[in-house]
Amino acid sequence: MSTMKRLAITLTTVVAVLVLSGTGQSAQAQEVNVQGPLAGAPAVINMRIYRQMRLQLQAHFSMTLQDQFSRAMMAGGQIMFHPADWLGLGVWASFAVANTDTALTDQIVSKGQTNGVNVLSLPNPARFSSQIGRINYIIAPEVAFIPLRGKLGIFEKLFVDADLYAFGGVGFVGVDERANVDSTKFQSCKPNAMSNNGGLASEVACLSNSQGARATRTAIAPTFGIGLSLYMAEFLAMTIEWRALPFAWNTSGTDEAGDARGAYPDSQINEQDRLSHFNHMISIGFAFYLPTAPKLSTAGNE
Amino acid sequence: MNLGFRHDFETLKWMKPLAIGLLAVMSLGLVPHAARAQDMSFDINETESTPKDKGKAKDKGKAKGKAAKEEEPAPAEAEAGASGEASGGDVMSDISSDKGKKEKETDEGGLPREKEVAEKIYAVQRMYVLRRGRFELAPSMAFTVNDQYVTHNALAVGLNYWVTNVLAVGANFLWYQGIESESALNFAIRRSARLAVPVTQYQLGGNLNFTYVPIYGKFEMFNDSIFQWDAYLVGGVGVLRTRPVAVIDPAIRTYDFDWRVAFNAGVGLRVFLTKWLTVFGELRDYIYMEKLESLQVSLSDRKVPTTWIDANSTLTNNVMMHVGITMFFPFTFEYRYPK
Repeated sequence: MSTMKRLAITLTTVVAVLVLSGTGQSAQAQEVNVQGPLAGAPAVINMRIYRQMRLQLQAHFSMTLQDQFSRAMMAGGQIMFHPADWLGLGVWASFAVANTDTALTDQIVSKGQTNGVNVLSLPNPARFSSQIGRINYIIAPEVAFIPLRGKLGIFEKLFVDADLYAFGGVGFVGVDERANVDSTKFQSCKPNAMSNNGGLASEVACLSNSQGARATRTAIAPTFGIGLSLYMAEFLAMTIEWRALPFAWNTSGTDEAGDARGAYPDSQINEQDRLSHFNHMISIGFAFYLPTAPKLSTAGNE
Repeated sequence: MNLGFRHDFETLKWMKPLAIGLLAVMSLGLVPHAARAQDMSFDINETESTPKDKGKAKDKGKAKGKAAKEEEPAPAEAEAGASGEASGGDVMSDISSDKGKKEKETDEGGLPREKEVAEKIYAVQRMYVLRRGRFELAPSMAFTVNDQYVTHNALAVGLNYWVTNVLAVGANFLWYQGIESESALNFAIRRSARLAVPVTQYQLGGNLNFTYVPIYGKFEMFNDSIFQWDAYLVGGVGVLRTRPVAVIDPAIRTYDFDWRVAFNAGVGLRVFLTKWLTVFGELRDYIYMEKLESLQVSLSDRKVPTTWIDANSTLTNNVMMHVGITMFFPFTFEYRYPK
């Protein structure tokens, strides 16, 4: 990281911290500050309590973002119970219904090249699509925290109740990756230096089967994100969610690791080739609430 | 504060118009729909007009306008502006309901006794911030969200002038050089697939923009604090100064920065911390035609610069997330009250 970059990030952080810490008092200015008959009243009375003691059933569609080689389109659901209006406990699940290759994958398929150094990583460029990693499913027990509740108006015509929430939990991610190739297998495919029978072409042919061999596993990853609910009715909300799932996996199916001295390649495909990725996705869903009628808050029950 | 537009109707059930006197008549006169529209209006007329004017302007003869006209309030009532809360019915109507009960108890001859209300209770809450005629300075950090090969991070600053409370014209400036960096993916692709991806470097960008605020709202936190926010659309045109990074033939090729015309469009969210300070996040797509390094190396003209650039331009979307603060100048403003 360059000195200028470090300086810029440091200055930005310092300014942000100073500004935010310095405005703590001012931020309070938006509190309801009423004297007289309204003194001490809560900010909101007769607010619809959409979540408290209600069960949320959600159907959603998700799409992964910033994927290097494969994008997952997923569909799933969520069940969540809210013991309080600001707290929810539940399980979120999503399953891949389609995986599409990115433009980079297409470029490698059409223009990638294989030589003696990268023959294990890319035995056959035309078959690169068969070696890349894909997400099959995500199941995440999680806790939702709903600190902000309000409404928004669009063009001063349409007004809807809304809440902003954050969530966090543990994600169990089903991934489908290129199967391991050990160094013994790789060495066995090396052309005999003495006979030189076929050279690179024979090596490619020998490794070709390993390119399409698949292995599945369940990766455990933290998951967290934020969401916005727009209440279309007392029992129905549209939700927009951003979710992160950072974990390590071999998205390209290539040999990324070196030996103990860092030399490349180490001539095997295994867990050491998994690189950390900040996987994230966006979801749009519809949430149904049971019972269908929410309570209203009162002065003593917000 | 009313956080559910249908609360108005719920509350109306509780009202006893004969018992709550002038306050309730005003509330009914402003009917829930009108109150909703007034609740978060950014129109300065909110603070300049009495309910009588508002009734005329908004409804042009409809019942609610008439009602407001009939119940023309004293200037003291009008000065604080309108509120969906007042007629919409949560806090205010709750108070009204209580008062109604008390007044009914002291009713004489079947007629409600008008009771003096010591507290100033306004029909319409004035808007939290007026922006018209103010400048907005917006320093921010910008991050690339869609380029996997080079992260074009930038330090940015914007300056807007608010023509109305929902429309601004302005300019922004971004400085990239020295802050952006090439991602590890580029190296990995070159190593594993022997594939070079042409990348570019940015130096600076500048744009003239319009900003429009179609969506606004407020959030309460644990029924204690209320935060005002708005969502806005931004768009404009400007310039971007970029150059290719030599990856195909780096031994020979070098490039100078050159100007590109860039269009931009985006959406943003602004949360008010005070009447002059906000934090904001903005997603903006800078769209331009990029000149990339040529993938061909001419053996005969290898040192001829005209062969280093790809003949075709490439449509490029550089989507950036801005995160920063905005400051309004002057810091203070005055609500203009009816005379």
